Amino acid sequence: GTGTKEGKGWKRFQSYKGEAGLPKEVEILRILVDRKAQTVVLPMNGFAVPMHINAIKNASKNDEGEYTYLRINFQSPGQLAGKKEDTPFEDPDATFIRSITYRSVDVHRFDSVLKQITELKKEVNKREQHKKEMAD
Amino acid sequence: MTTQFDNIYHELEPQVGKFRMAASGMAWMNSETKAVVSVPAGEIKWAQWMRVARNFRLRIGLKEKGKRENFDGFMRDDHDKLTSLMKQHYGIILETKEITFKGWNWGATDFQGQDLAFLVSNKTAFELPLQKVANSNIAGRTEVSLEFATSAASRPSKSAADELVEIRFYVPGTSTKETGSDAGEE
Repeated sequence: GTGTKEGKGWKRFQSYKGEAGLPKEVEILRILVDRKAQTVVLPMNGFAVPMHINAIKNASKNDEGEYTYLRINFQSPGQLAGKKEDTPFEDPDATFIRSITYRSVDVHRFDSVLKQITELKKEVNKREQHKKEMAD
Repeated sequence: MTTQFDNIYHELEPQVGKFRMAASGMAWMNSETKAVVSVPAGEIKWAQWMRVARNFRLRIGLKEKGKRENFDGFMRDDHDKLTSLMKQHYGIILETKEITFKGWNWGATDFQGQDLAFLVSNKTAFELPLQKVANSNIAGRTEVSLEFATSAASRPSKSAADELVEIRFYVPGTSTKETGSDAGEE
């Protein structure tokens, strides 16, 4: 069918207006949660790549030997996870990043990064929920 | 006349070094290992300026096809100085490569030489080196994953950079007939 509700509930979001908005700490090439910008900045081959929390679905972690793996899952079309109506996409024909996985030997830091991402996501979801209730 | 810039990185190396420019060419020396990377003036074909994680990058394209050198760690204020040095020494215009900071996970992939670039609204978000792709997979009709060769450091340190090991893309299929109905069990 064609019943996709594009545009409904879609709110344009943006992490930073320009490069000057990037936190200074991105230079150490580690994942950084910038709560103020509601953004996770990822080190990708020397680039600082912001990912807005609205683009992030969730994150998970698992330990293998001396490494810890942190996986960040993003919102993308064709996922089975429910709430389809709530995740409209501006351009469903685009290529989407679906997940990105990192590894580190610093278990504690990845624990903390995971916690920060999960909490930020929860916070934003709660706010959205609240807004929706107010609108009803 | 030689101009020196301190605290410059070469590629993704962890140590800083000194970067020098003169009419004869440019050179970078690793402050710890003293290893030198030099680019003779005659080899320089083009130059780009872009924002990366370690502040700004000077990317030099070499005459040898597909080869280039990246020097990171420049400050915003170095731009004008570099522009005039590039022009004065090598007659080359320093071009600015626009990078996006929107925070979107959708866009388009583009093969650029030895890199796979991810573009958001026609601006680069990041580039991935294809030589470092150790494995790639196509799952279903719409998912492509790239696995990266990880560093073989025998004893990885806690202060090391976070290592990207895998990225998965959703690539819309060319045949979209079946995607309208519920994405059901397969």
